[in-house]
Amino acid sequence: MQYLIHLAILFAIYGILGLSLNLVVGYTGLLSVTHAAFYGIGAYATAILLTSFGVNFFISVIAAVIISAVIALLIGLILSKFDDDYYALASFGFNIIIFSVFLNWQELTRGPLGIPGISKPNLFGLDFSSNLSFLGLSLAFLGLIYFISRFIVNSSFGRILKAIREDEKAIQIFGYNTLYYKLAIFVISAAMASVAGSLFASYITFIDPSSFWLMESIFILAIVILGGLSNLKGSLLGALFLILLPEALRFVGMPNDIAAQMRQVIYGVILILLMLYRPQGLAGEYKL
Amino acid sequence: MDILPQLILNSVIAGAIYAMVALGFNLIYGATKFFNLTHGVIAVIGAYAFLFFGKTLGLNLFLSVFIGIVMAAIVGYGLDKLIYLPLRKRKASNMALLIASLGAFTALQAIIAILFTSQFQTFWRNYSTQKIYEIYGGVITQTQLIILISGILITAALVLSLKYILFGKMTRAVSDDEEAAKIIGINTDKIISRVFIIGSAIAGLAGILIGFDTGIEPTMGMSLLLKGVIVSVIGGVGNIYGGFLGAFLLGFAENFGIWKISGEWKDAIAFGLLIIFLLFRPQGIMRK
Repeated sequence: MQYLIHLAILFAIYGILGLSLNLVVGYTGLLSVTHAAFYGIGAYATAILLTSFGVNFFISVIAAVIISAVIALLIGLILSKFDDDYYALASFGFNIIIFSVFLNWQELTRGPLGIPGISKPNLFGLDFSSNLSFLGLSLAFLGLIYFISRFIVNSSFGRILKAIREDEKAIQIFGYNTLYYKLAIFVISAAMASVAGSLFASYITFIDPSSFWLMESIFILAIVILGGLSNLKGSLLGALFLILLPEALRFVGMPNDIAAQMRQVIYGVILILLMLYRPQGLAGEYKL
Repeated sequence: MDILPQLILNSVIAGAIYAMVALGFNLIYGATKFFNLTHGVIAVIGAYAFLFFGKTLGLNLFLSVFIGIVMAAIVGYGLDKLIYLPLRKRKASNMALLIASLGAFTALQAIIAILFTSQFQTFWRNYSTQKIYEIYGGVITQTQLIILISGILITAALVLSLKYILFGKMTRAVSDDEEAAKIIGINTDKIISRVFIIGSAIAGLAGILIGFDTGIEPTMGMSLLLKGVIVSVIGGVGNIYGGFLGAFLLGFAENFGIWKISGEWKDAIAFGLLIIFLLFRPQGIMRK
């Protein structure tokens, strides 16, 4: 049972990451490979605020959202100069630069040693230290993010995002400043990713830079593409599938280190097969 | 031992390695116009094939180097035939190709780690037996000298064959305009598949040489690839000469950067350079 709860919490965290990345990749058509950086910023912000300053978890979430939104604004401004594969390439670069910051700004992040002893959330005496209550909290956040995302994609703002994806020039001619829209969705998406990071830090109680390496961005991208571009439920489906799949390997009885590598093989092969046979993903509406 | 001559030597050696990685990358980009992210892992395959045949099976040195290069070429050819060619036939977008190559990269890297463990390994049993040369107070090992010479020789050979041999001219025609090349009767798929073989072979050799110089691990493909990409962008993507210049520019920027800042920031420096170039001079040092 504890094991199932653990998987469900992971599903909630990656569900948030998948939903938020889908807003950028699926709805707006910007291939961002830097999502793990914002996930990490959220995790580090919460970890540092909780361990060094004893701030309440929920305040740290708000602080993390603000920090990663500001950083996303700066990165998004630079990224807005690029499109298509150059966009992907530059976003790669930012993931690596931010990873280097996690790894090397030792006074703040303790570098490769990581930050241990992050406490569990607590709200007005309501304690989330048991896994079951933490699951409730994670699912609440997932639900919140899902409804915000759904509101965004169904609003007129969301329709303009889709229009940018389909034909940016055309929507510019109608007088929309596409830069603002692209920046806004990038910042929103980064802020959502940082919430997932806060949850992750508090749940695992220990973080180190390795959780936010480029491969994590690729994994989140795999969730979005597998589930379906431009389909919110698809992202949840993708997260569920990619969380459960490696667990199946465990039951086959593979040794742990090989199973970890096998997961990478499976993600890789899934990406290749999807591109070959179903580039819009399982339930997607948009092809890359 | 003076610091300055040593720094210059280190920069030049790093430049020669990057030049070799970027050479194949540029060649493939020129012909196919997509960022082939598997290029880094192909270098790693060459290195591990050498490790297996040369060190584990104890075959002759030159024979093993040859096998390593051939293995890299075969994998490059196979990837083109199995993944990229079908995608191109389907008129898939560059982003779809990019993601498929990202998937192939992830899968291949993990397969190498399963076969050979993810430990760091060296080719030499004893490094002190290497010959060392002194140039103006800087030290260079025999391996590094070989790296430097091969880098320059291969670039020269490639540049000359692109200019004077029929295959080279056909490759340039495909790079310029694939449709037009097809119309005048060039079998573009065949040319592209040969470009993959040649580019991958050069990458394989680069991987083996790096193995002799420092050692190998499965994850080194990512940093090699990224260096190759950065160098190509600095030099102007698809531009062979520019790539050569860019490689040495990056070598110098990194080595002098870590002299002034600190070794851990090497990757961040490299990516900072990439983003600066993308922003202010996206066409690279040399205009095409």
